[in-house]
Amino acid sequence: MNKPDIRFPVLPWIIPGILLAAWFAASRTGLVPDYLLPDPIRIAESGVTYIFSPPDSAPYAGRFLTDASASLLRVFLGFSLAVLLGIPLGVISGRIAFCHKLMSTTINSLRAVPGISWLPLALVWFGIGMRTTIFLVAMAAFFPIYINTAAGARSVNPLFYQAGAMMGVGRIRGIFAILLPAAMPQIISGLRLGLGISWAYLVLGELTGVSNGLGAIIMDARMIGRIDMIIVGIIVIAVMGRISDVLLNTSLRLCFKSAKRMT
Amino acid sequence: MKTPLQLIQTGSAAGTKQPALAIDRLSKVFHMEDGYLNVLQDICLTISEGELVCISGPSGCGKTTLLKLIAGFMKPGGGTIRIKGRTVTRPGPDRCVVFQEDALFPWLTVAENIAFGVRQFMGRRQLNNEVDRYLEMVGLGSFGKYLPREISGGMKQRVALARVLILQPQVLLMDEPFGALDAQTREEMQNLLLSLWEKLSHTIIFITHDLSEAVTLADRIIIMTRNPGRIQADITVPLPRPRKKESDAFHRFYRELRSRL
Repeated sequence: MNKPDIRFPVLPWIIPGILLAAWFAASRTGLVPDYLLPDPIRIAESGVTYIFSPPDSAPYAGRFLTDASASLLRVFLGFSLAVLLGIPLGVISGRIAFCHKLMSTTINSLRAVPGISWLPLALVWFGIGMRTTIFLVAMAAFFPIYINTAAGARSVNPLFYQAGAMMGVGRIRGIFAILLPAAMPQIISGLRLGLGISWAYLVLGELTGVSNGLGAIIMDARMIGRIDMIIVGIIVIAVMGRISDVLLNTSLRLCFKSAKRMT
Repeated sequence: MKTPLQLIQTGSAAGTKQPALAIDRLSKVFHMEDGYLNVLQDICLTISEGELVCISGPSGCGKTTLLKLIAGFMKPGGGTIRIKGRTVTRPGPDRCVVFQEDALFPWLTVAENIAFGVRQFMGRRQLNNEVDRYLEMVGLGSFGKYLPREISGGMKQRVALARVLILQPQVLLMDEPFGALDAQTREEMQNLLLSLWEKLSHTIIFITHDLSEAVTLADRIIIMTRNPGRIQADITVPLPRPRKKESDAFHRFYRELRSRL
């Protein structure tokens, strides 16, 4: 168990490969006009310019580092806020039925509100920029983290608490010694879902006219008709989202025995 | 020579010392949607130090509830439970339970599970030595690094035994701990328990619905009835140890016991 499956190493790349081939075929044969979907080679060139060229040598040249670091910081701050609220509240509501009853109606109603409806309000409250984006990211990532943590905490085998109690583990130490490790698989799913949603709401927050960030690039490119840059932005977000998910997973497994042994 | 029947209900004389466990007029009622259930009624039981007592009876007779009350997982409805004169109010390492089901922590290795209850009281070296000692004691010397999901059911119950023995409890509570094991493994575990008991002389309360297991293990067998849950009989087992399941004496006593219930 827990060993990566080394059979079929090419399997995950078959679908991307087919999509890329179809894309080549579509643009080379002129089936799809260039202004709707540019040739993959041109996208690659734009991507290289965006990432590696010296700044100001061309539009968007060399802006990758500024945009990526701005976006990463926003995701990191928003996601951290969601973790700091979601895990403790989830633990409390999962462990204490009274608190679950107290909070569940409120939280489930708020959860039903689509994240995008918070955007206008956030703009009024926090203005355009960093704080609005962080608010949206935190808001969106909170719910999966909270809900999965609470579900995990509720489903801990009661025998574990009894076993802990007879071995001298009280309620408070029990949270760290029993509840969190026992609920770890669900907490991890909550964190991964939350991080995924963070990237989605990052773009939403950045579409509103901030000057840098990956979402800002996409919006900016749309305004001046640089469809290649829109696609570059999308690919960069996909890659960074995937990398952050892998990093999250790896660091959890390094930090927590329970994460390594139970997932 | 006394026949087993004459021995029935004589009980065992409590020693001159304070009893390891004294239960006085214990009762417990469960409230249901449509009324209530007298799970335990008027239970009086004294167990002296070093005694191995089996509690048996039909399902629903409250034997597991009795064990949970002694463990302190539940509060009694009435009456008292005293361990060496001290009244039980909550769970504690002086009364440890080996559960029927697998209750090992799946995120800890075998060695870490055994260390769980004592790790904050010991330095690393002493802890490692202690854990190794108890691993050896239950015959799992080389399995310390395994995870619970990687070992068999019988081995899991060995770990469950080791993790409570390391706490050096006054009273060891066992809730049908070998019920889920196959016949051969169960016999191995019974022999292991008996040899540990002879070595460490714990007071053991062992719940089982299997009368032949009770006759194999117990100094005394407590038989309970259900609705209300009460003690029906308190029987001293007159067979010498080591007991052989194939012997005539074993069979005769077992049959007497059976026919009486």
